[in-house]
Amino acid sequence: MTANKEKKRVISRDAARRRRRVESEVFVDLSRLLPLQQSVQDHLDKPSVIRLTISYIRMHALLKGKTGTKAEASHAVKCGQVMKSGEEWRECDRGRDDEGKKTDDVEPSEETNMFLRTLEGFLMVLSIEGDMIYLSDNVGIHMGLTQTELMGHNIFEFTHPCDHEEIRNNLRLTGEEVWCGAKRDFVVRIKSAPTHRGRSCNLKSATWKVLHCQGRAKVCVAPASVSCLMLTCQPLPLSHTLLSTHTFTSQHSMDMRFTYCDQRMTLLLGYSTEELLGRSIYDLCHTLDTNCLTKNHLNLCLKSQSVSGQYRMLVRGGGYVWVESHSAVIPSVRPSKSRPGAHQPLCILCVTYVLSGVEEPSMQLSLDQTVHRYVR
Amino acid sequence: MSDRNTAAGGGDTARGEPAEDVLVEENQSGSVSLPSLMTPSSAPCMSLSMEMPRKRKGSLDNQSDGEDQSVKMKCFREPHSQIEKRRRDKMNTLIDKLSAMIPTCNPMSRKLDKLTVLRMAVQHLRSLKGSASSFSEANYKPSFLPDEELKHLVLKAADGFLFVVGCDRGKIVFVSESVTKILNYSRAELIGQSLFDYIHPKDMGKVKEQLSASELYPRERLIDAKTGLQVQADLPVGAARLCSGARRTFFCRMKYNKISIKVEEKEFQASTSKKKVDGDGEPDKQDSSYYSCLVAVGRIHPHSSPQVNGEVRVKPIEFITRYAMDGKFTFVDQRATTILGYLPQELLGTSCYEYFHQDDLPHLADRHRKVLRSKDKIETDCYKFKTKFGSFVTLQSQWFSFVNPWTKEVEYIVSTNTVISYYPSRTSRSELSSNSKNSEEDGNKSHQVIPGISTTPGAMIYAGSIGTQIANELLDFNRMNSSSSSGSISPFSLPQDKCPQTPNQISNNNSQLDLDSMVGPGLSSLSNDEAAMAVIMSLLETDTNLGEAVDFEEMHWSS
Repeated sequence: MTANKEKKRVISRDAARRRRRVESEVFVDLSRLLPLQQSVQDHLDKPSVIRLTISYIRMHALLKGKTGTKAEASHAVKCGQVMKSGEEWRECDRGRDDEGKKTDDVEPSEETNMFLRTLEGFLMVLSIEGDMIYLSDNVGIHMGLTQTELMGHNIFEFTHPCDHEEIRNNLRLTGEEVWCGAKRDFVVRIKSAPTHRGRSCNLKSATWKVLHCQGRAKVCVAPASVSCLMLTCQPLPLSHTLLSTHTFTSQHSMDMRFTYCDQRMTLLLGYSTEELLGRSIYDLCHTLDTNCLTKNHLNLCLKSQSVSGQYRMLVRGGGYVWVESHSAVIPSVRPSKSRPGAHQPLCILCVTYVLSGVEEPSMQLSLDQTVHRYVR
Repeated sequence: MSDRNTAAGGGDTARGEPAEDVLVEENQSGSVSLPSLMTPSSAPCMSLSMEMPRKRKGSLDNQSDGEDQSVKMKCFREPHSQIEKRRRDKMNTLIDKLSAMIPTCNPMSRKLDKLTVLRMAVQHLRSLKGSASSFSEANYKPSFLPDEELKHLVLKAADGFLFVVGCDRGKIVFVSESVTKILNYSRAELIGQSLFDYIHPKDMGKVKEQLSASELYPRERLIDAKTGLQVQADLPVGAARLCSGARRTFFCRMKYNKISIKVEEKEFQASTSKKKVDGDGEPDKQDSSYYSCLVAVGRIHPHSSPQVNGEVRVKPIEFITRYAMDGKFTFVDQRATTILGYLPQELLGTSCYEYFHQDDLPHLADRHRKVLRSKDKIETDCYKFKTKFGSFVTLQSQWFSFVNPWTKEVEYIVSTNTVISYYPSRTSRSELSSNSKNSEEDGNKSHQVIPGISTTPGAMIYAGSIGTQIANELLDFNRMNSSSSSGSISPFSLPQDKCPQTPNQISNNNSQLDLDSMVGPGLSSLSNDEAAMAVIMSLLETDTNLGEAVDFEEMHWSS
């Protein structure tokens, strides 16, 4: 009896081995079909093969479907954007017009690389469920994990739980938006595994990186339902920001009251540093932009970095300028041996770009602009 | 191998050890459970050295479950079967997803087995490749997508275009096709032109600065975002420095070519760009080896509201104001002038109560108190606001307290005011009485002229104090409650009915209480003259300089 059992066990074990082998062969076949280098293909594990296959199929559907939908054509018109008719737009988009052939100076891949490098970011295509269908291959530089490792995974696995709500809101597509360009602009915290010095890339030691994602949503119902977001993602901030004459820096306490601003602020907006110390930035801005500033402030509090978008800052004496601020929370600086007097609690550093000239210079909108300072 | 893995991390938490040395428990569970895949030898943990990133397996499936630390800690001691189960579940999910993607799988009503799905996937991929498209290229660069498609994807997502301009004269050397979509100029129109032809005149200086050689701006200002300190850049001046690939961002307005004759300007976002030394210079450049240019990406600013005729599309009979907590105007939208007749600066610093019609004082004061204590938007009823010309306009407003996200304190009150109707006639007593007959909330009171409360300047001061009182109330209330309330509880979250009963500790108790009961919920039932009398009474206590302008800021509260 035991011999029988033994025999059965052997048979089933052999069968299982055969099944596994067959399965592995199919996996190899599948991996060979993926548009990747052979060396990469060889080292993919089974889940990765499937993930990448799914990505491939989805991207195929997305890119082939793009010239088809009416929705896109009409949305281009609705937005007052460039083209009059859908066809023109498609042609332009495809870039296969004669013009493109004439000035054939740059290879598409080179152009893309240049683009992404200049942007210092990577491309992400995000499905409605949050799967990172596609990531450009320079994602490795920014995130520490390679394209093949990340592609196909769900973004919720890599982002801070507190940001999930925001991501979900951004993934939602309303009917209205289909016709209006459906732009997206948000900031999330994402896990990033440092890769400097070629050291270990360990998800455990991953830090949170703040990612500024901008792009648009795209609805594609035929041939397959591949609605998604196409985003460029830029890690914030850079460790050095080059300043120009039209930017100024300022420092704020966490409630956005000024603790410092540089002289350019005086040149550009007319307020002296002393005047501003202790004043809230909310006093200095146009009321209609309160929401914009609040969102920026919240982003800073939660995510430690933010890009504000445009808002108006009131100019001393009258009028306002359009500005945009890139801000970050600076960690506390404790007094050290070399700098015993320096103590800096948590504060916010803003680099503000002045976008416009002074508009409505004679218009005094707020009390702060009047000659006598509003004493509280 | 698994033994070594487990031994290395066994017992200790991974946290205290340097990242590169430790084999994390997550990884241990991963490596232990990784089935013998195609290349069994390469089942490394994530934490192994990263010199050859491509060789690493995409073994994230086991780590990236979003499970927290404690679960991962347990994994180490978890039975092998549990780990296996999780792996199987994950695989099944993936297979399901895959089958949903494959057209031939879909019609099948019953669930297909793994092998079949995989085989169908192979077939499907082969068919995709077989179709005449760039996807069928045999040799891919590592970008996964064909170049052309990727390029378009990027440009579409970024809503931008790439351009390269020479630094010396701003000549556009290259611009990508997507510029057509954004600026409506064709490539041919732009290449070879000067960039400055397309920049808003006021921004020329900015752009010149970005393009200029460093000789002109020897001291670049850099800030270290880590410490917020300015770093004095001791950079050698000269073309060589440009190789550093310094990144810069700037905003400028660029011309947008509409089909019609008129050329409009469109707000246009930063180019993030790098300086690059390009060895292949123009043939006509003498010193081609030092030809430097700016490689930039231009993107439409996502928030630009172009064509600033007005800003947001609000109805022309609407305007926005800001009040300090005591009701003083701190911000007045310029549209107010056409409606109210006052220039903003005429209103700034004065209390809104000075302009409210007396009939409306009670309910507005009530709303004022409410809004300071609530996070919601508070609607007022219709009320009359005195214009410069003496007449009244009927407004209806929506107020909300703007709270500083960090301190949770009220910074100011934002008021969106809508005009309901205009009263063109000039004011007089008869006017006032006729108004009062028409006013919506006050049908039964006949208006009497109260000594001191009329349209004389003296009255203005009294009205203004209402706001101050309300603000004081709140501050006192906060002060009293600050010890008891925790940081996370906003003082405004406490029920409103407590407020009127709160005794005011500051001086003028009697009058304050009177005012409280006046200004509180019961006020609307009182007649105007009673309310007016109450106001006068309170003021007699607090205001020693009747008839003179008093700086109410000196009073109890301070920010």
